[in-house]
Parts: sequence; structure tokens; C-alpha cells
Amino acid sequence: MLTPRQNLLETIRGGHPDRFVNQYEFMGLVMGTPYSVRNPYPTKGGPNVVNAWGVTLSFPDNVPGGFPVHTPDKIVIKDIEEWQKYLKVPNVVYDAEEWEPFIAMAEKVDRTQQFVTNFIAPGVFEQCHYLLEIQNCLMSFYTNPDEMHELIDCITEWELAYAAEICKYIKPDAIFHHDDWGSQQSTFISPDMFREFYKPAYEKIYGYYKAHGVELIIHHSDSYAATLVPDMIDMGIDIWQGVMTSNNIPELIREYGGKISFMGGIDSASVDHPGWTEEEVRREVRRACDECGKLYFIPNASQGLPMSTFPGVYEALTKEIDAYSKEVF
Amino acid sequence: MSKIEEIASAVERGKAKLVPGLVEEALDEGADPVEILNKGMIDAMSVVGEKFKNNEIFVPEMLVAARAMKKGVEVLKPNLGGSSDVSIGKAVIGTVQGDLHDIGKNLVCLMIESAGFEVQDLGVDVPAEKFVEAAADPAVKIVGVSALLTTTMPAMKATVEALNAAPNRADFKVMVGGAPITQAFADEIGADAYTPDAATAASVAKAFVVG
Repeated sequence: MLTPRQNLLETIRGGHPDRFVNQYEFMGLVMGTPYSVRNPYPTKGGPNVVNAWGVTLSFPDNVPGGFPVHTPDKIVIKDIEEWQKYLKVPNVVYDAEEWEPFIAMAEKVDRTQQFVTNFIAPGVFEQCHYLLEIQNCLMSFYTNPDEMHELIDCITEWELAYAAEICKYIKPDAIFHHDDWGSQQSTFISPDMFREFYKPAYEKIYGYYKAHGVELIIHHSDSYAATLVPDMIDMGIDIWQGVMTSNNIPELIREYGGKISFMGGIDSASVDHPGWTEEEVRREVRRACDECGKLYFIPNASQGLPMSTFPGVYEALTKEIDAYSKEVF
Repeated sequence: MSKIEEIASAVERGKAKLVPGLVEEALDEGADPVEILNKGMIDAMSVVGEKFKNNEIFVPEMLVAARAMKKGVEVLKPNLGGSSDVSIGKAVIGTVQGDLHDIGKNLVCLMIESAGFEVQDLGVDVPAEKFVEAAADPAVKIVGVSALLTTTMPAMKATVEALNAAPNRADFKVMVGGAPITQAFADEIGADAYTPDAATAASVAKAFVVG
């Protein structure tokens, strides 16, 4: 039996996996860094917090994650033309001893079994709209393209500095990087606009990780983004996690399998809801696996972490993927 | 190209600096202000909505087109003789309690406003009572309810139930939307319509009111 790490590589390299890769089993996630402990995140149902970038985040009890608050007084960059005046970029350089607990976390992962994987969120696009508010951000691509380029360059430089520290201390095998680029029906911005503003940023960031020992780039965007797949390949993404059914995944696999792999295929909303049932989970797992096949595909709910909103859904998916593997492998 | 066609083209392309001047020129040439609004702006935004629905344009293009229309309306308004002459009804729209997502709801507001409605945006995290209170206004023809999470679908159900129990329920239509919402769910909770995107929401709302 292949290890989760070997099985993942067989799956994404078009080899001979001995079962479906089961959701996040191949990732040994390292969720913290000295920076992240100084970057407060609200607790579920707890009070709002202001993070290291000055963004106010709220995490109501009944939602899957924190969310920026954008009442006019809470918007960090109030005027894109003066973004430098409003933005204070947080430090990422800390003493070696501060990294020790996170190095210990990475050392607990058996690298023959799993990929030591650093988790990074939000991404460059999300950071822009966290700071500006989403409509202001999207309008600014037209009204203030030069300033948007400057802001994106600034965030990219920060990401590169963070990447240098992560590679120095954790030496990860993989990066799991979040940045939602669309709704379930479309990308937020056109592919051309994406190529102009964000592709160069990610080529630098993912290029840096690849040049410093990172074997796998897993990018999360639980959205439609099929039109960006060629760009994802250019940017160095190995696995697109969160791929929703609206992307026509079987067609993407036929066209791009071997250059990139697709992790998802089960829309969280279709299984992770108040009235969820094991039968529904069984049906969705089998549909996704039958449609997408054994190579270049990892069955997984589109949510961006190994968890579900409603208790038991994630575990039910895991159990069903195992069960179906035994039937079809 | 007629002046009104020029206005429509400028609105579609989001040319906020051009539109006010073009509207002034059209008025100077004696064009009917209502026709400028309907043919030069509302029809243009409906083209924008269709293109958005078909993924030919994206959210930024839609936002700049709406901004361009707004600039034109500012010039046009004093010539329209009171907004009651041109508004086809009032729509109140919000995201349900516990849900902070606003971009989808904002796009619906923008498209419905561009289709000729007066819009009251209730914001995000809106309790059911606030929807009912807003819907009590006799001018309200459409109540739009948005939810972006499976966890807030129960809040949508509770909101639609509260609206369905309102004494003036026959006076307005309830429309629902958001990522996890389906036609089946809309039927189950007793909404009048589910629409999958902002452009369809605007055309369905308009059809409810003007037939």
C-alpha cells in the first residue's frame, strides 16, 4: 500500500495510485508562524478583532470563517490614491527561538507519509479587497490602475519576505495558499485583468517557493476559475483545491491533466448543510469520482480546510471516499 | 450614431466622465429626458446585465457602468419632473441575519436600480423583522432576500416565512438568491422567485411589476 504522499504523487503524475487520495490526508498542515500569532483572528462567536494589517474581522457563530467588516469607519485604505498613508505592513522577521514551536510542529510530520504544508491566507487578491472593501477594490482596477499595481507589488513583496522566513525555518514540502478568485459562476475579474494584475505577483511568490525546496503548490479558490487554469499552470500551481462542479472538471482534467490536478468536485453547499445525510454524501462522492476518474483528481469538499461547517460531514466524506476506493481500485 | 445611442454606448463602457456631457448635449438637442433614461441608460444597463450573465464582462465592468449611469442620472434628474414619474416601484433588498456577504446583494441592488426601481438597501445581517418593517411601505413591490451560506439558509427561511405572514403580502413579491440557494429551496420556503444572478433578478423584478 502506498503512503498518502506516494499515492498523491502517483495521482498527480499520471502513475498508478492504489486508491483515491482522500481529501487532505497527504497534507501535514503547519497552521502557525511567529507572524500569524501576532495576526489576531476572531474566535467563532467571539468579539470582532483587528488583525495585523488593521482589518476588522468578524466571525459570527453560524458561519464557516472570519469575514472583514467594511463599514466606512473600518475600511483600512480609505482612498486608493493615498494607499501608502493608510497601510502599515506587518513585520515577518522574528528570532529563531520564536520559530521553535512551529519547527516542532513540522518535525512531528513524517515526511515519508505526508507533505509538511504551510497554510497561508488570505492571498494577494483577498488582501486587496480586505484592505479596500471589495467594490472599491474592483472599481479601482479601472479608476486607479497604477495605484492598484503599487498596492499589489507591496503585498507581493510582503508575501516574498514571509516566504523567505517560512522556507528558512520550516522548510515545507508544500504550500497551501488561499485566494478566492471568483463566485461559483464566474471569476471576479476578467482573465485579461487577472493576467495583468495578479498573475505576475503569483509567478513571483510561487516561483520563490519552488526555487527554495517546495515541491507542491496547492492553491485554494472555491469558485469558478476554469478560465484561469492555463495561468495557474504558468504560476506553478500543482493542485487547485476547491474546484467547484461549475468548472466542468472532467473537461479540465482531459485538457490539463498532467500539468495540474484538481482537488474538490464536491460543492460544500451540496453536502454540508443543515439537513445533510449520509446518503447524499455517498451519492456526491460516487458522482464526483465516476465523473472525474482516478488520475489528476482528488475527491474533496470545496471548503478550504479539513473540516466541515456541520459536524460529521467531513468524516462522512472521508469514510465514503475510502469505501468507494475499495470498490473501484 | 444618435446622441442617445452614444449615451448608451458610454454607459455600457463605464465612461463616467463622458456620460454627463453627452446627457447635457442630448437635452440641448431637445431629446426627451425619459427616453434618455430608458433608451440611453436603462436599456444600456440591461445589455450590461446580459453580458455579465454570459460571462462576457465581470464585476468591475458592471460597477463602472452603473457608476457612469449614476453620473448621467444626476444631470438628468432635474429634467425628469420628479422621480415618481420614472420609478417603476420600490425594492427593498438585504442579506439575512448572521450573514455578512454583501457583493452579490449589492450587484442585485445595482441592477434593480438600473432597471428603474427605487432601491432601499437594508445592508447585511438583517433580522427578519427589519425586512417585514421595510416591506410595510405601500410603495414596496419587491423584497429581495440574499443568503450566501448553508448556515444562513434557515435565516432566509425564517425571513420569508415572516414576510409571508405580513398583512400586506399581496402587495409585494419575495425574491431570493445567493450561492447555496436553489429553485427547489425557494419553492420550499414559499418565495415568489429564485434568480441565479443579478441581471436575471432585475429582469424578473421588472416582469413582476410591469408585466
